[in-house]
Amino acid sequence: MRPETAVDSISLDGVAVVRDGRAILRDVSVHLTAPRIAVIGPNGSGKSTFARLLNALVRPSSGRVLVHGLDGERDTAALRRRVGFVFTDPQAQILMPTPAEDLALSLWGEPRAEIERQVAETLEAHGLAAHADVPASELSGGQKQMLALASVLISRPRLIVADEPTTLLDLRNARRIAELLLTLPMQVVIVTHDLDLAARCDEVLLFDEGRLVASGEPAPVIAAYRDLCA
Amino acid sequence: MIQTYIPGGSVVHRTPAGGKLALFALLALAVTAYPHDGASIGAALAGVCGLFLVAGIPLATLIVEVWRLRWLIVILGVGLWVFVSPLTAWISTARVVALVLLATLLTLTTRMESLLRVLHRLLTPLGRFGIDPRTVSMTIALALTMVPTVARFSTEVRDAASARGIRLRIRWIVPLLVRTLRHADDVGDALAARGLV
Repeated sequence: MRPETAVDSISLDGVAVVRDGRAILRDVSVHLTAPRIAVIGPNGSGKSTFARLLNALVRPSSGRVLVHGLDGERDTAALRRRVGFVFTDPQAQILMPTPAEDLALSLWGEPRAEIERQVAETLEAHGLAAHADVPASELSGGQKQMLALASVLISRPRLIVADEPTTLLDLRNARRIAELLLTLPMQVVIVTHDLDLAARCDEVLLFDEGRLVASGEPAPVIAAYRDLCA
Repeated sequence: MIQTYIPGGSVVHRTPAGGKLALFALLALAVTAYPHDGASIGAALAGVCGLFLVAGIPLATLIVEVWRLRWLIVILGVGLWVFVSPLTAWISTARVVALVLLATLLTLTTRMESLLRVLHRLLTPLGRFGIDPRTVSMTIALALTMVPTVARFSTEVRDAASARGIRLRIRWIVPLLVRTLRHADDVGDALAARGLV
């Protein structure tokens, strides 16, 4: 059973991203309100750039991005508090030596006792309690990705954007992470090559050569992707 | 010297990070500034080793830490022995080893988050000179965290070259630098994504 989902809208209006004279995204306009959104497409199609726009890690060259009413250009800090971003490679996302310290970093500035309580709860909830104080570099790939996700979830964002979060994982860990993402109580955008995962989302976006070429219910969009790659 | 926190309930662990940092700084000052003779520096070094035992750090960890310093000990000790005197070699080398072990003990018994808080507190007065204490403390913490990551990159580069039957010799530094700089970009993105910069 799906949890109740607090959904706000994501709007892109005529968004283009150009880097070094090369168009990475072209004229993307979309309005998203579904709780689970998958983003699929070939390598280099602009999926990750689309995802990064949602956290203001990439700025549009033209057009406008509004995430839950926040403009990444103007409200960057507020947007990043609201949007949690999970990277493909968790190694880049883990910033502190141990899991407990990395989770605590996400709560920087809160009272110490509160940080300790939330860190302990989050480690327990994500099966990392036994690894709280081991060097993060010694965790398995699955544990690192779980830690990366936990470090985002602990700050209670309203939207999670995950850029190919299962790509580097074995099947068991990929399923664990996918299951967790699909059952989160907040809105989730997942960039993925896993079509089974995309099929379980409420809406799917298909990118090709920087353009949004299809969007809507999973089945027809995934079929369009298969045709594209045929 | 840069070691990950080892959990424990010893008096050294329980001492608040600020107090511990101040105490260790005083000890380091005493080790450095006191006009030691052969016996007193030996006692100081033994005292620092004793602190490891008080902290409940396994003896094997202490031995590994000293072993890591072997080249420093050899180069410094032999150099001073040859060019100055055996006594100076003993006093100076023991002094450096004691200082490094004190710093190691600090990171072994103090969580990074606690050290960050102390650093942040200490650096806050510098804010009036345009120095952002949060950025400085975060930079130090990240530098400590990245050591094992860069070590891993180094191994990966060597392994990749070996797998292709290539001996890179000194040229291994180029792919290592490229990989490290790319990683630095990713870490920058991760910091931004978490709203930390």
